[in-house]
Amino acid sequence: MSSQGLDCRHVRVQIGGDPHALAPEVSAHLVTCAECRRFLEETLAMDGRLRAALDLPIAQFRRRAPPARRFALAASVMFALIIGGGFWLLRPQAALAGAVAEHVRHEPGSWEQNTRLPPAEVAAMLAASGVRFDTRYPVVYAMTCPFNGRHVPHLVLQTDTGPLTVMLLANERISRRREFADGDLRGVLLPAGSGAVAVLARSGAKPEGSADEIARGVSWR
Amino acid sequence: MNLSRGGNTPGAPFSRLLEMLRPDLLRFAFWLARDRAVAEDVVQETLIRAWKSREELKDPAAARPWLLTIVRREYARLFERKRLPTVDVDEVEALGDPALASDGDAGLTDLRRAIMQLPGEYREPLVLQVLGGFTTTEIAQQLGLTQPAVLTRLFRARNRLRTIYGLEPAEDAE
Repeated sequence: MSSQGLDCRHVRVQIGGDPHALAPEVSAHLVTCAECRRFLEETLAMDGRLRAALDLPIAQFRRRAPPARRFALAASVMFALIIGGGFWLLRPQAALAGAVAEHVRHEPGSWEQNTRLPPAEVAAMLAASGVRFDTRYPVVYAMTCPFNGRHVPHLVLQTDTGPLTVMLLANERISRRREFADGDLRGVLLPAGSGAVAVLARSGAKPEGSADEIARGVSWR
Repeated sequence: MNLSRGGNTPGAPFSRLLEMLRPDLLRFAFWLARDRAVAEDVVQETLIRAWKSREELKDPAAARPWLLTIVRREYARLFERKRLPTVDVDEVEALGDPALASDGDAGLTDLRRAIMQLPGEYREPLVLQVLGGFTTTEIAQQLGLTQPAVLTRLFRARNRLRTIYGLEPAEDAE
């Protein structure tokens, strides 16, 4: 099929090369070609998985397993591949709340920090991520973390009711405030300007009371 | 030199920035090198070189791409200096690395192993784009290729992964 001077083969090379930055002639072709639109949708869906795959859990990365454990792990991975492989294609795309909770679980040490970071250094790190964040709570942990294909600030604040994890998600769009629970984590997703903010607490603590105030302190640059 | 402890000494904010970005650098180096020890060496060299060149970084917002570029150069330099042997994809030790396993998501583990087995010419631009956030033009500059050549490599990388993802591969580019 041909449209606007490009055939499907060339359009798919462009999509496969960078599905997030399509040339106008590719977009024009997509208007009239359902098969290439499907190819784009498949590629975008795969890219979400690709980003998650490349986002290796550094906590595990830093712990090299001894050889005997490595063998056992390899065996367990093979078992999981055999058992789980058939279910993969049926697995639904993880919701934003689930993805946030999963990410937070990968950094358990973040909850244990209690030394206030210098505000100027936190501000510089946030500026590097294109965000300004004003809060009365001390920031005790600040990292930029890969999340859904972007690098986002991941903070821990010390509040009167214990530590709260805050993720500043400039590229996530949500229509309304949403509370969620995921295992021992409780969280709130809130719209914040053109992006979103996730506020999470653990072990029975409740983030709802502070979440709105925290979200009001966020502005994107 | 301890780069991760700035305290109140001059350069402390830069040290903190390096510390915050270190996990990203390590991931990136691991995908390039496919070897944890090499990745850690590359990142250490990167941090030292970045520290020495810290005056060159005028804008903190540019720190991440600046450091990732240094990682890539350091990896290339290490490769040339030590003449690291070419490794058969089936013998990549990193395929058994615990970091590739994803609890409760065997598909993700499978995809990681597939990425790890991509030829370097496809894996490197893919990692630069998806993990590094570089545009195809920037990748072309880094790799010394034309932008269409980068697009073709990225297309081929994704095309190989489509089969792992259970999708029909597209017709290859010329």
